[in-house]
Amino acid sequence: MRAASAQRMEDAATGIAIRNVSHSYGPAGHGVLALDRISLDIGDCEFHCLLGPSGCGKSTLLYLLGGFIPVQSGQIVTPKGVVTGPGPDRSIVFQNFALFPWKTVRDNVLYGLKKAGFAADERARRAQEYIDLVHLTGFEDSYPSQLSGGMQQRAAIARTLAVDPRILLMDEPFGALDAQTRRVMQEELRAIWRRSRKTVVFVTHDVQEAVFLADRISIMSARPGRIEHIIDVDLPKDRGEEILEDSQFIQLSEQIWRLVREQAIAATRGAH
Amino acid sequence: MTMSHVGPATKGAAPAPAPRRHIAPRTVDTLVQVSVIVALAAFWEFGARFGALNPFLLPPLSTVLVRLWTDLLSGVVLVDLGLTLYRALSGFLIAALIGIPLGIVMSRSKAVRWFFDPLISVGFPMPKIAFLPIFILWFDIYDTSKIIMVAFSCFFPIVAATYAGTTALDKWPIWSARSFGAREHEILWEVHLPMALPQILTGLQVALPVGMITTVVTEMLMGGRGIGGAMITAGRFADSVGVFAGIVEVIILGFVVVKSLEYLRARLLIWHPETRR
Amino acid sequence: MAATAPAPMPSAGSPRLYHLAGTLLRYAPVAVLFIVWDLLGRTGLISRQMLPDLADIFSAFTTMLLSGDLLYNSARSISRAATGLGLAVVIGIGAGLLMASFRPVRLIVNPIVQLFYPMPKSALIPVVMIWLGLGDSSKILLIFLGCLLPVVVGTYNGAKGVNPFLLWSAASLGASRAQVMREVVLPAAMPDILNGCRTALAFSFILMVSSEFVIATDGVGYMISSLGDGGLYPAMFAAIFFVAAIGFAADRLYAALVRRLLRWREA
Repeated sequence: MRAASAQRMEDAATGIAIRNVSHSYGPAGHGVLALDRISLDIGDCEFHCLLGPSGCGKSTLLYLLGGFIPVQSGQIVTPKGVVTGPGPDRSIVFQNFALFPWKTVRDNVLYGLKKAGFAADERARRAQEYIDLVHLTGFEDSYPSQLSGGMQQRAAIARTLAVDPRILLMDEPFGALDAQTRRVMQEELRAIWRRSRKTVVFVTHDVQEAVFLADRISIMSARPGRIEHIIDVDLPKDRGEEILEDSQFIQLSEQIWRLVREQAIAATRGAH
Repeated sequence: MTMSHVGPATKGAAPAPAPRRHIAPRTVDTLVQVSVIVALAAFWEFGARFGALNPFLLPPLSTVLVRLWTDLLSGVVLVDLGLTLYRALSGFLIAALIGIPLGIVMSRSKAVRWFFDPLISVGFPMPKIAFLPIFILWFDIYDTSKIIMVAFSCFFPIVAATYAGTTALDKWPIWSARSFGAREHEILWEVHLPMALPQILTGLQVALPVGMITTVVTEMLMGGRGIGGAMITAGRFADSVGVFAGIVEVIILGFVVVKSLEYLRARLLIWHPETRR
Repeated sequence: MAATAPAPMPSAGSPRLYHLAGTLLRYAPVAVLFIVWDLLGRTGLISRQMLPDLADIFSAFTTMLLSGDLLYNSARSISRAATGLGLAVVIGIGAGLLMASFRPVRLIVNPIVQLFYPMPKSALIPVVMIWLGLGDSSKILLIFLGCLLPVVVGTYNGAKGVNPFLLWSAASLGASRAQVMREVVLPAAMPDILNGCRTALAFSFILMVSSEFVIATDGVGYMISSLGDGGLYPAMFAAIFFVAAIGFAADRLYAALVRRLLRWREA
């Protein structure tokens, strides 16, 4: 893992480089500082989790990466250059799915493909491929309101994956799902990522989820958000349910849990 | 606020415990409701025929229907209905064609909002029908002034609903579209409009009945053909059979027009949870 | 409806004065319309017949106001509208609650509502004329009939949509049926009821003016149409603007009333 860390610096041109990014909400001058001078390098094809208590600005950092909110100070560089706005090279899956409710599953997936400029027959083929990949075969013509939360989230993931973004941003995508569906989705996501090889930035406040999914985890502090620790997850690349019993997994989870707990406690103290 | 939720039989028919229902409740409901209409018609017919009601004040239903039938055969009914429908729908469509784009532009441009928001909030609650003599003065008593009056009445609910619907939109679908590389003008058509559609349709559903009321009044006031004109003429000549024939026509017309718009809503919002229950 | 809500004004210094200034500034575009009106008239592009001088309209307005004509006719109109609307509100809320509470009532009333709700109520003008002649009662009946159904439907939907858990918990606390109705159903349905009443308020004005245009010997609608027939256009415009202002004021008063009644929803 050490060698991998060293190599990461050279990968900066193919990964994501976050340089000294600060962000505050509210009126300029006396707003609330949400992110305080964040610097982080994420390697090419890395699965990176941003972990922290609520209010630590992890979603804000993700939206900055996506280009949905403008960078106020500092810089974010991706292989496509400096981030100035949203783009199809960085696709996002939101916590509340953000499917287009007036489009069927198929049309939702086709939307991104159309914008990405695929030819019509290629669009149809890819849409079906990714619908099959997330096991929604047979639900192509259903509207989101007809699907369960888990199915809607799978549709949203298919829509995002289908355009084959270099970078995949995920904002607590499984937060609204029940525990069982969540577990299944995590395994599927990890398997899909193994096959497709892309950079993933995944926001969560669930320690187990982060350890299960990530190559590296950034632990953030709350108000103002800073990156307090970066942890390498030294676990086998292929992870299934059995890894939850693995002593190394349990140990790492406990270690990270303690670090997150410290931040959460510090945050509540700071609030009083 | 939606007036389309009239259907008390369906809307909000909460899953209340109904211990004493044994036969399929829907069938019973339908039967009872149909028989209420039949009973009402029978009461009208026989009440008038056997002197319980003064036949001038309420001529027997059969007499009214016979009149309706002769008028239908001579074509009078169709001409009146057609003219009224034409005026109501033309005004309504003009209002929609101006109101919907204006509502959208208001939600996107600060200057346009600054100018129109107060005008609409002043105009919305005014009894627009009071302006009818002004339109008669400006456009004479023929179709132009009638249609403009109807459009003026329908305009406010449509623009207000569109503005409200396109203003506070959920940002997530918009961000999704942006992340796929959609341009802002594409997002307007592909995301904003469908998201605001339920509220726009509600505005149309509020406007259409207002438009019908206005059409009938303009016809009554300016005379000429059309249901309103025919009814007021019948009223002035104390032709109560003619008045009630008009009422039957107007009930049918209103029912068909309003239900058509409800049907259109259900078709356009087939994706919306409200359509499925 | 969002477009009709007055914008919240920052309250600093003398809040009342600030608020007034803000309101005036907000309605500046209305003044812009009148300026355009005035300029159009001055250029002579549109005849003074069609677009009377604003000063003439204003002086006609003061004359009518001082002679008492305007106030007398407004009072006549408003008393009719208020009577019809008041009856519709009382009977409509009662009918809506009965429909929501008793299935037989619902089954009997529902088809009637379904049939008559979409009917343009102004078509009843010749009917009430035949039934009750040209006096007050015909217009009151018309306004009552026109306003009734929005209130019934609003009340019914509101009462029917009350969360059943509220009803069950009230019943489990030993509330009688009447108590549940008064203390749970009515407040919970209040937003829908008030919405129905707002629609009814708008209809009452439309039907008041319409019926007075067509069949009346006094009232603001009659006043407007007879001024128009007599070619007294500045006075006609003044009366029309006055009626529009009354309608606007009534709606604003009603909105203030609703805000008071629904204070519990804010917290």
